Amino acid sequence: MSRLEPQPGERIDRSKRISFTFDGKRVEAFEGDTIGSALYAAGRRTFGRSFKYHRRRGLMCVAGQCPNCICSVDGAPGARACIEPARDGIVVQHVNAEPSLEHDVMEVTDRVGTKFTPPGFYYKTFIRPRRLWPLYEKVLRNAAGLGKLRHEQPEREWRTEYRRRHADVLVVGGGTAGLHAATAAAKAGADVVLADEGLAAKLADLGELATAARDAGVEIIEGGSALGNFDGLVPVWQGDTMHQVRAARHVFATGTIEQPLVFAGNDLPGVMLTGGALRLAQTYAVAPGKRAVVATTSDRGLEAARALRELGVQIVAVADLRPEISELGRALRQDGIAVFPNYTVVEARGRKIVERAVIGAMNPTFAGTEHTFGVDLVLMSGGAMPATSLLLQAGARTEYDERHGHFALAQLPDGVFAAGEVAGAVGEEAAARSGELAGLRAALELGYGDADSRGRVQVLETAPTEDGDQVAVAPAVAGAGRGKCFACFCEDVTSKDIGLSIDEGYDSIELSKRYTTVTMGPCQGRMCQLPSVRLMAQHNGSSLGDVGVTTARPPWVSVPMGILGGRPVEPAKRSSIHPRHRALGASVKWAGDWRRAYDYGDPAAEALAVNKAAGLIDVSTLGKLLVRGSEAGAFLDRLYPNRFSNLNPGRTRYGVISSDAGRIVDDGTICRLDDDTYYVTTTSSGAGAVEEWFSWWLADWQMDVRLTDLTQGMSAVNLAGPNARQIMSAVSDLDCSAEAFKYMDGKLGTVAGVNALVLRIGFVGEIGYEIHFPAAFGEHVWDALMAAGAEHGIKPFGLEPQRILRLQKMHILVGQDTDSESTPFAAAMPWIVKLDKEQDFIGKWALAHYAELPPSTALVGFTLPNGDVPTEGAVVLGDDGSAAGQVTSSRHSPVLDRTIGMAWVPAALAHDGAKITISDEGRRLAAEIQTRPFYDPDGEVLRS
Amino acid sequence: MSTLEFLAPVAAGEDVVARSPMEALARDAGARFEVRDGFNVAISYPAASYGETVSWCDTSHLPKLQLQGSSKAIDGAAGIKLQAGTALRRDGAWWCRLTNERALVIGARPSELPDDVDVIDVTSVFASLTVSGPLARECFARFCALDLRPAVTPVQALRPGSIGRQPGTLIREADERYLILFGWAVAEYMWSVVADAAGHLGGGPIGVDQLSERNMSHQSTPNTDA
Repeated sequence: MSRLEPQPGERIDRSKRISFTFDGKRVEAFEGDTIGSALYAAGRRTFGRSFKYHRRRGLMCVAGQCPNCICSVDGAPGARACIEPARDGIVVQHVNAEPSLEHDVMEVTDRVGTKFTPPGFYYKTFIRPRRLWPLYEKVLRNAAGLGKLRHEQPEREWRTEYRRRHADVLVVGGGTAGLHAATAAAKAGADVVLADEGLAAKLADLGELATAARDAGVEIIEGGSALGNFDGLVPVWQGDTMHQVRAARHVFATGTIEQPLVFAGNDLPGVMLTGGALRLAQTYAVAPGKRAVVATTSDRGLEAARALRELGVQIVAVADLRPEISELGRALRQDGIAVFPNYTVVEARGRKIVERAVIGAMNPTFAGTEHTFGVDLVLMSGGAMPATSLLLQAGARTEYDERHGHFALAQLPDGVFAAGEVAGAVGEEAAARSGELAGLRAALELGYGDADSRGRVQVLETAPTEDGDQVAVAPAVAGAGRGKCFACFCEDVTSKDIGLSIDEGYDSIELSKRYTTVTMGPCQGRMCQLPSVRLMAQHNGSSLGDVGVTTARPPWVSVPMGILGGRPVEPAKRSSIHPRHRALGASVKWAGDWRRAYDYGDPAAEALAVNKAAGLIDVSTLGKLLVRGSEAGAFLDRLYPNRFSNLNPGRTRYGVISSDAGRIVDDGTICRLDDDTYYVTTTSSGAGAVEEWFSWWLADWQMDVRLTDLTQGMSAVNLAGPNARQIMSAVSDLDCSAEAFKYMDGKLGTVAGVNALVLRIGFVGEIGYEIHFPAAFGEHVWDALMAAGAEHGIKPFGLEPQRILRLQKMHILVGQDTDSESTPFAAAMPWIVKLDKEQDFIGKWALAHYAELPPSTALVGFTLPNGDVPTEGAVVLGDDGSAAGQVTSSRHSPVLDRTIGMAWVPAALAHDGAKITISDEGRRLAAEIQTRPFYDPDGEVLRS
Repeated sequence: MSTLEFLAPVAAGEDVVARSPMEALARDAGARFEVRDGFNVAISYPAASYGETVSWCDTSHLPKLQLQGSSKAIDGAAGIKLQAGTALRRDGAWWCRLTNERALVIGARPSELPDDVDVIDVTSVFASLTVSGPLARECFARFCALDLRPAVTPVQALRPGSIGRQPGTLIREADERYLILFGWAVAEYMWSVVADAAGHLGGGPIGVDQLSERNMSHQSTPNTDA
């Protein structure tokens, strides 16, 4: 055990002991420990194996930033041991090592496989023979990765709550600056939310500030990671809740991230960031090691050295990368610590953990200056990079700051503020001032605050600022050639890999990123952005500013995909008759955004029932628009190629809507209810688009017309078949005789005691009544018709039999038999285009043009003699065997007992009796063209 | 029958009962029904006691009329100038201006409306739920991105927008009570969305009588009847 004496502010509760297992072995811990701190205290140094080379990895950042300690907890992958709380009884397991963490066979990749696995190796070394790629892929995928999903689907599921939260001000970051910003904005009157991924850990230090913020009304989302910035929407992931925070103003107090140094062996267990070692010691009272070498670019490392020495860690040497020794450095020397200015760490050596550290002077070869120390800890502090990712996503801009050796904020977008270290405010006082200023500015912009607030802003704006300590710019790499020098710990990208990518032409940071995958791992560039930029600048001989940084993209924190999935409730429209379809055992399928009865078990029998007796289908999904006004008829005349202003009240007419380019976009029927009122139906899938189309043109034309979308409010059923008339007569007060209720009539009357509009139309080719009535009566009307039809052999029929029946009549389905290039002329409907209409209409110019140019293809029917049913989409071959058309619909007709279909064919073949060949998945099918409906070609049944 | 009479879910026959699109779900949840004004209405649930959390009530039976006409004509019909974004309570109904030339009357069929407005019964175009209780706003936050903070959405506020990823309209009827309207065909989906969110918060469905009782004891409907 390497527990220290109780530390001021430690998070562990030594009176509460818990235990968990790691790889099956029991581990003792205190409440408040993380998995990482408990394991480290128990002596574990290897926490995982790296992504590609399977190298040992140990704790490095102790802040959830790097990927080194990723493990699985209770079977769920992706946990970071260094921040995951230890809980009694949990089962923790390593990832990416077989058969064990200590003995990983894939370690061979590191020892002998490096030359086979350069960046992009899967494009280079595993491409031949090509047929083996599936095997290679399987092996590679199995060898790489950072954990495995649970096997059983139920184990992968958990409930995620999605909580939208509007706020005046969102503060991201719960350190000194963030808490001051939140409190200031809230006190000024703003509604403030503060999110911080590690606030609970900071509360020991910042408890009073957090209390003040809460007292001021700030909602604090503890342990909430801001994932990104999507045009002002900031998702904050907090355990099983995803807060979707939309704020009018944003304050980012995201701090800085301590950077590693790139040197040989910089990934050995025992090589840590100074901040990580301090957190282990001060927060969890765990000694990070016994003998340490420190390498630093600023006083941050020196402060860590001093603090750790006081905790009993022997600091054997400090390599200060700055050319001059600082005041603190001199103080350390006086305390007996060897401080080497202008030195850096060159190499960490050791088999399983660090055993020796080599430091050398900052010159190209380190010749003659090297010192080697026996240590179990190498602490590095390669500078502090502002955590600007969320700000960049919000539209901020950064520039390279030569003085500090990092990319600093240069410009902020409107409504976005930065506070604390990310904005360059170093030290507690500066952070507090910077936070308060940002919070007040945000609140004032929204109209909150008063004269005192404005006065306070002036004071804060004029307060002196410090520029922080002088820092050294870390070398791109030290000790190259002595071993692997990692720029990216997540993806195992070395300094050599970056150089190789440039040599192979990927010479910009964005290209190199895509090729090497540097910055694309779980740390999202936190550890590797700056090192990779330095390496590229060095290799290219350009400045860091010219290299720039890669585009910041969400998520800023790695998250399970399930968190992003949304609740498992799928929007669906259902007819008010849907419960009846369920009760009848219908096969229900998607039709656009509706759930529809596809069939009731036997589509052929259902179709036959319509042809022989009677059938009832729910067509409530049809679009239904009420068009009213003194210019309603003229309005429709402008929208459709045919006329509606001359339609008599009580009559119905078919209409095709064409686009500006004369192409078919939808169809339906239009019934004139009275002089000023039309009831327009559209296809089910086209309802929304047609309503938008009508509204758009109405807004332009400014006619005396009012539109009302009744699609969801009106149920509709189609009663069809030879016995439909008797059934209708039994349930309706309308005179349903052929003389009184003619084909294409539309009448108002009652059906089963319900007021309804009844259209005598026949999409399925039989005597048919399309009955429209309020959706609240859906089940009642359905039940009444089914009851009345029982003695007449009525059957419910679904979408599939309807498709058979309409095909028998060669009625087109827009979108299936037509596409975006189909015109009414080519679709065998020239009669619907009234070019002699006196007024203009949508698509008139184009249709007039097409009228003079005979179409090269035509939509026709076809039959097959031998019972084969070609696949819809099968190719119609031309004389020379090339593709000349396609099958759009095909079915077996039960009433005709043969295969029927529709297809686009060369216009020259669009005549009865012409022979075509259909190529269908290897089959060649001989078919014969038919231009008239297969069933009731003269419409005698329909009109009877 | 007049031209547009067939649009109203008012039965011509005595034995005809109008039904909510959520009736089957309400029945599965244990609702007790009663026919009121021709509508089969879920009036109560035996186990309902969600006073401290959130409840939802199927109020799809409420009559809804769409008024179309000039802005002046619509104001004339309402008897007061209707403001966009605010629902006015009058004669037992909410009067809601949707656009300059379109308004919605929810909850009653006014006995007399002037001839210069075009009236269309849209009762069965829109289904509705009344979501109420201390956690009502928290419940909405689970499926709706509308900003319902009291400062932004005060009582009587009218907010068209996306509710459960569907086009909808929300009226804040009282401090802790919201009426939402949505398409009749998506009602079953919307029930499942509200039930998923409210159920997780400890809530459940209540009937219209239970909603009325709760209003008497906990809520204060704005006395804005003009």
